[in-house]
Amino acid sequence: MGVRRLASVDLRGLTKRFGALAVVDNVSLKIDHGQLVCLLGPSGCGKTTTLRLIAGFLEPSDGEIRVGDRLVSSRARTLPPEQRNMSMIFQSYALWPHMTVTENIVYGLRLRKLDRDTIAKKLAAILATTKLEALAQRYPGELSGGQQQRVALARALIVEPETLLLDEPLSNLDANLREEMRFEIRRLHDQYRYTTVYVTHDQSEAMTTADLIAVMNGGRIDQLGTPEDIYARPESEFVARFIGASNVIKGTARDANHVAFAGATLKVVGAPLAAGQAATVAIRQHDIALSTQPPASSENAIKAVVTRQVYLGASRDYMVEVADGSSLRATTPTETNVPKGGEVWLTLPSERCRALGR
Amino acid sequence: MTITTTDTPKRRRDLTRPILWLFAAFMTVLIVLPLSWLVVFAFTDKARYPTLQNFVTLFTDPAFLDPLLTTGIIATTSAVICCLVAAPIGWLVSRTDMPGRQIIRALVTASFVTPPFLGAVAWELLAAPNSGMLNQLYRYLTGAEDPLFDIYSLTGLIFVISCYTFPFVFVLVANALDNMPGELEDASAILGGRAWTTARRVTIPLALPALVAGALIAFLQAMTLFGSPAILALPAGFHIMTTKIWSLFQYPPKLELAAAAAVPLLVLTILLLQGQKFLLGRRGFSVVGGKYGPPRPVEMGGWRWAALAFCLIVLLNPVFLPYFALLNAAFSPNATTLVTPSTATLHNIVFVFTELSSTQLALKNTVILGASTATVGTILALVVAYVTTRRVIASHRMLGFLATAPVAVPGIVLGVGLFLSYTRPPFVLYGTLWILLLAFLTINLPSAYQQLQAAFATIHPELEDASRILGATRLQSLRQITAPLLRTGVIATWCFIFIGVMRELSAAIVLFTSQTKVLSVLIYDLNESGDLAAISVLGIAMLVITFAVVLAVNRIPIFGGGAGARLRNS
Repeated sequence: MGVRRLASVDLRGLTKRFGALAVVDNVSLKIDHGQLVCLLGPSGCGKTTTLRLIAGFLEPSDGEIRVGDRLVSSRARTLPPEQRNMSMIFQSYALWPHMTVTENIVYGLRLRKLDRDTIAKKLAAILATTKLEALAQRYPGELSGGQQQRVALARALIVEPETLLLDEPLSNLDANLREEMRFEIRRLHDQYRYTTVYVTHDQSEAMTTADLIAVMNGGRIDQLGTPEDIYARPESEFVARFIGASNVIKGTARDANHVAFAGATLKVVGAPLAAGQAATVAIRQHDIALSTQPPASSENAIKAVVTRQVYLGASRDYMVEVADGSSLRATTPTETNVPKGGEVWLTLPSERCRALGR
Repeated sequence: MTITTTDTPKRRRDLTRPILWLFAAFMTVLIVLPLSWLVVFAFTDKARYPTLQNFVTLFTDPAFLDPLLTTGIIATTSAVICCLVAAPIGWLVSRTDMPGRQIIRALVTASFVTPPFLGAVAWELLAAPNSGMLNQLYRYLTGAEDPLFDIYSLTGLIFVISCYTFPFVFVLVANALDNMPGELEDASAILGGRAWTTARRVTIPLALPALVAGALIAFLQAMTLFGSPAILALPAGFHIMTTKIWSLFQYPPKLELAAAAAVPLLVLTILLLQGQKFLLGRRGFSVVGGKYGPPRPVEMGGWRWAALAFCLIVLLNPVFLPYFALLNAAFSPNATTLVTPSTATLHNIVFVFTELSSTQLALKNTVILGASTATVGTILALVVAYVTTRRVIASHRMLGFLATAPVAVPGIVLGVGLFLSYTRPPFVLYGTLWILLLAFLTINLPSAYQQLQAAFATIHPELEDASRILGATRLQSLRQITAPLLRTGVIATWCFIFIGVMRELSAAIVLFTSQTKVLSVLIYDLNESGDLAAISVLGIAMLVITFAVVLAVNRIPIFGGGAGARLRNS
């Protein structure tokens, strides 16, 4: 695809206020060139606003955005979207219904005043990559959801942007197609390696596509890290609850890495604790071991009573109650079958118990 | 904060904002200027000293008090009659298995598009005390001496106003019933309510807000109408507010009083529209999409045909009889004599188009004004609708408000305001077509804006964003993406304004001069001179032009004919 300038995207103290409400609140994030970063968070967390700020559809109330060495957005001046050499894939796909697939795809090239031959060559290449050759003369209204999605991809990629922005691109697809397109997006990214910002509320989508995930909450980046960081080492209660299925335990710190909980003492890892202070500990449901016999080692073992048990086919889902009355959820292999009311021992492996700083 | 400009490409200037501010300024002048002058004149004397004397005169002098009362009586009774007639027809058309429901809808629409003043003239042909065709028939059948009807009376006026106002109520009621989920009625049925019980206990209460809102609109229409009262009330020797305001413009003009008399109309209109908005909530007039399920029509059994007969008899009055009278007069040597094959003549048509000197001028003016108002108005409404739906500039709410505000200004009130504004420097436009253009533009702006706003709402903003991010400027996006998608909506709006201009009389009557006469004013003039045959010819010509415009823009490809079919499958 020739030599292209790949730009990093750098957000510095980016803030967007609507009235008194800061929808994006002092967000700083550096995205190296060629990296795919996911902005992940529940609806209303400011992720789409951040993306639209990067695209230039919105002007920041504070802070700045740099692309490569260019300052593109600041309070003083915002470069309009058309001058940013970016592409975007929209939640609605935003295919123009009055243009054919071909017309949609070559639109950006025509704006760049490329000659016919170049356009034809690039078109043929992108149609092949996105497997759209047979549909080139159709109107968007005549395509299925997955096909429309691929047209949107082709239209965004053909202009060879420095930066690619994706706004919940898969949310309108059915489950099977969504899974397929996730890998498709990652494959195309690996092929072309533009700097990509991907907005989604679906954690598994973020896990499968991203180099780096920024979990957003209340307009701020709560935690930034690789998918593994985010999943295995959550730093806040919000991230622990939002990513994967976690139990969040409230206890009291004994010392830097021991927490008193439900009459037992749990050895934990993660944020250092101060003795006597309230401590929050997260542990994944499937990390909890459940047995009817007392475990060999008493470390991190807690006695509990089964209050609910559901057979899920691949696993069993337990709800148990511990001495202090709080409930924990555990996912176990199907062989462990304890009826409701049965007494069990839980083992919470210390390396999986993460004390949360926030 | 310093901005490094060295590596940014040379920027094309974004002209969008200055252009938008220009539009905002124009709209402000368009609406604020006439209303300001109206208020200034209403509260000052001839030397422009502040005074309340105009209002004292208005509310004490019987010459003003009587028209005020008459207006109240006419508006109230017309509103009641409209509801009594429109509600049952709306229900029959929307909720029953009455035969010919589509035809009835079409016929109501036909009375909707008939200019009220044309209807009034048609009823002169039918029910003038001596020459009226219905009275002739009555005398012939009974041998009586006295006429059966006298259209030149308060009752006659109320009757004619109701004929051309009830469609407003009908549209609201029928829309409300069309959109009412069928499940609501089914729920009543499943609980044991029989069809008639369900209608009485569920359907009618749910449609009531629409009906009351319709009554308010009917009241408003009756209150602000000029043509019909001028044609029917003046010969009967009484005034209503609009005709009184008009008479204050006759020599010697009393502009301060005219302005003061316009104020109550303005205030009442604003109040009524607020009431209507409150009743309809945020549903407005628009057909709300997404139905639950088609409602089950009430089975009328043997009453179906009786119901149809009722509808047809009602529609005799606004449609069949008047159009028959107009057609008859156009081809008859004597306007109120029944034409026969042997007496049929083209003389009236020849007279109107070749001998009547003012026809050509009025036709030319009407077409010029219609086309230019429609073009300018569509562009203006388009820009405002764009700004408000896309929130391009901070003050978009203000622009939207300005575009809808003229709804609250009755035609004659606007006429007075424009007259006061543009007969003095810096804008001396009186006596030119410009002042009429401004009037028609202002009057038609609200509905044009609403139509285009609805059209914009169907176009996802991301369609424009997608074009911007790929490198198009805002204006390029508008031209290449938004404009083609809006084409059908724009064409509809253009037609709508063109037709609106042709029917407009109440503002034109205050603003025209001999060189700027338009078709509606010509018809009014011809009525003064009693030339009803010529009116019939012009009225029919007007309707023909209307249909021709609608057909032309819908069929000719370059205007977007056939575009709808392509977009439909998307």
